[in-house]
Amino acid sequence: MDNSLPKISSWRQYKALLRKDIAQELRTKEMVTSMGLYGILVLVIYYIALSQTGTEFDVTAIAAGLLLLMIVFTSMLGLNRSLIHEHDQGQLEALLLAPIDRPVIFLAKATTNFLFLAIVQVVVVPLFYLIYVSGALPVLLGDITPGPWWMTAIVLFLGAVGIAGVGTLLATISVNTAGRDFILAVLFIPVMYPLLLVLVTALNAAIMGGPGFEATFWQMCAAAAFYNAVLIAVAYGLYDYILGV
Amino acid sequence: MKDLLIKARDFLQGREIQIAIVLAVIGGILTTIAFVMAFTTANMQYHTTTVNVPSFVHDTRVPLAPPEFQPQPPDGTVNYHNPWFSQKIFYFHVPIAQLSLLVFTLAAIFSVLFLRTKDPNYDLRSRVAMETTLLFTLGTMISGSLWTRASWINSWGELFGTLLSEPRLVTYSVMLMFVVAYFVLRRSVSGEEKRATYSAVFSILAWIIVPFSFIFTRVTNQVQAHPTDALNPGMDTSNLIPFIICIFGMMMLGYAIYTLRVREEKKRAQIEAIKEDIEDALADAAKAGSPTGAPNYSAAAVLGTPKSKEKK
Repeated sequence: MDNSLPKISSWRQYKALLRKDIAQELRTKEMVTSMGLYGILVLVIYYIALSQTGTEFDVTAIAAGLLLLMIVFTSMLGLNRSLIHEHDQGQLEALLLAPIDRPVIFLAKATTNFLFLAIVQVVVVPLFYLIYVSGALPVLLGDITPGPWWMTAIVLFLGAVGIAGVGTLLATISVNTAGRDFILAVLFIPVMYPLLLVLVTALNAAIMGGPGFEATFWQMCAAAAFYNAVLIAVAYGLYDYILGV
Repeated sequence: MKDLLIKARDFLQGREIQIAIVLAVIGGILTTIAFVMAFTTANMQYHTTTVNVPSFVHDTRVPLAPPEFQPQPPDGTVNYHNPWFSQKIFYFHVPIAQLSLLVFTLAAIFSVLFLRTKDPNYDLRSRVAMETTLLFTLGTMISGSLWTRASWINSWGELFGTLLSEPRLVTYSVMLMFVVAYFVLRRSVSGEEKRATYSAVFSILAWIIVPFSFIFTRVTNQVQAHPTDALNPGMDTSNLIPFIICIFGMMMLGYAIYTLRVREEKKRAQIEAIKEDIEDALADAAKAGSPTGAPNYSAAAVLGTPKSKEKK
């Protein structure tokens, strides 16, 4: 009797969940458009904030911080949205009823979050890069030679992996609380603090260049990768408890 | 030997409160002794790290008093090289900081136990340990601020600048942020088990992140103003004795605070259960007394309190 149902492999479960999330996103286009638009609006805010700094001001010195700020804001928006459907329309209950391994739910959700985050970054970050890095005065004059663009891409990749992995756990907690967005921010910032710190150091090295910037860059990338590996393993282990209640 | 141990266990069982009170008294006495010793028998310590930040005005190995607090020689000359007794805060600041990390670890251990057993008792213990962490973290930050004011900075206005530029202070702020976030999370979740599970998961996560933030802040930040070699072999016996006495005193105080708070919370839960039972009984009595449907003004009827499931 037990063996009458064929065992569906985790890989197939994972693919099915991924397909579900992507299909949902293709129909509503809710997450990517809201995150992308938000990212562009943050650029507008940067323009306003920096409008009185004058021509002497070297914007590349703070470009790493500005870029990270944009990513943190957009990703928090996306993480919040990513689980609201699951919660409000009872999708999570349905998933728990279905014969799916719970860790697979975590991995699928984290993957889609990573995917949407990556898509948004592919659109918004080049815009940022053109305005604040390659279009900045010190770079145009040749005072600063930024590292190649793929360095920034590596940092953003590591950041997106960490944010999607750990953020999915935090978003699942916060979506079940009274003040969703606020609780996500309160949990997200301290948990992400070490990662954001090394990311901004690596980004700064990649954008500012300077003597020996490659060493700093690779050290920071290694640190970020280590954080991601440990924290995603922990989040993977703890996700089961969160879904259980 | 085994009999003796069993006897001791039997004696100690059920006497947590008495033990906690005794430990609180002993801890208080030990801390006071350490306080007196720190100001009388302990020598001045000379090992602190070099301050290499321009905004930290005293670029010297010795914690110095700001000029206005310097003991002025009577002949009118100014002597800027007297190490000040602000350094005495060391004997309290360091034990409190160590203890805050210890209780933080305890909270994480109880969280793990809670997730494994789902026993609400562990949730209670984890929460109380977190409260104790909050207390000791605040104690560390306040005593640290006093020390900072006396040895690194010229005015209170510079304090927040130091907070954001010195790795150890930044990581401590992050830890405080974690503890605060823990309580914010607890407040916003409804449902006993959900709340307990979420906060347990978060406190485990926090315990794993804190070492990360300690290391990463050091890796990314070159500033080093906080004294680091507190326990180096160069520490005098006269310094070490009050320091160790204070560590033990603080540990006893911490244990006492923790145990008494656990007891208080347990009693509170019992009172709540009894209250619910009384309201149930009142509601039943009101129902029995007014079968005609006359207005029912009993507390349970007005507040709509859910009936408690079981009498204890």
